[in-house]
Amino acid sequence: MANIITAGNSTNGGTAISTDTSGTLNIVTGSGAGATAISIDTSQATTFAAGVSGTTGSFSGNMSFNSGYGSAAVAYGCRAWVNFNGTGTVAIRASGNVTSITDNGTGDYTVNFTTAMPDANYSATHGQGPRSVAPFCSVYVSNTSSTYSFQTINTITGAVADASIVFVAIVR
Amino acid sequence: MNKRIIYPTDDGGVAIIVPAVDCGLTIEQIAAKDVPAGKSYKIVDVADIPTERLFRNAWEYA
Repeated sequence: MANIITAGNSTNGGTAISTDTSGTLNIVTGSGAGATAISIDTSQATTFAAGVSGTTGSFSGNMSFNSGYGSAAVAYGCRAWVNFNGTGTVAIRASGNVTSITDNGTGDYTVNFTTAMPDANYSATHGQGPRSVAPFCSVYVSNTSSTYSFQTINTITGAVADASIVFVAIVR
Repeated sequence: MNKRIIYPTDDGGVAIIVPAVDCGLTIEQIAAKDVPAGKSYKIVDVADIPTERLFRNAWEYA
């Protein structure tokens, strides 16, 4: 594998672009022989090593992919999400880009984003349950670029009600 | 995180902020960010919050 461009050196590590006789282009990081982070073969198939995408990667442009959609098209990301228990000791089970939820009262919640959305014109989806307790629904109350408020409702009584399974996803 | 942030609501009730454990902020930082501007607040132990919520809307900030 011959290095074409090297940043750093073989002892202190660094990054190199290298190729081999098969025509595959590799971006290699680390000292010595290094580890291939990204490789592109002659068919343009691109392979990312584990940990390259998702943990340290970022893209300033639009990301497009097919993955069964039918053609490569721009994909829009979930910018915040949360799964929490709205009964008893209200608690967040897991979340992303959420610093907290505010329990405003019975079945009345606000999701607080870590990093605000660019504006308030995002889309939100929420679900709640379980069905074995009551046929719940949830309704939008208000939103800003940094918060999203909604209520969970027991559709039999029509009253706002706590639900033990509540989840919200924000797409922008 | 076994802490909660409480503050009074405009209608005389109390709001309770439940922190996300993995958000990377301290409870004080979450309070500074998520408590509405101008509201006084307290940081309390989760054990201080009642788990019986039948009369949740009658809770008051004290």
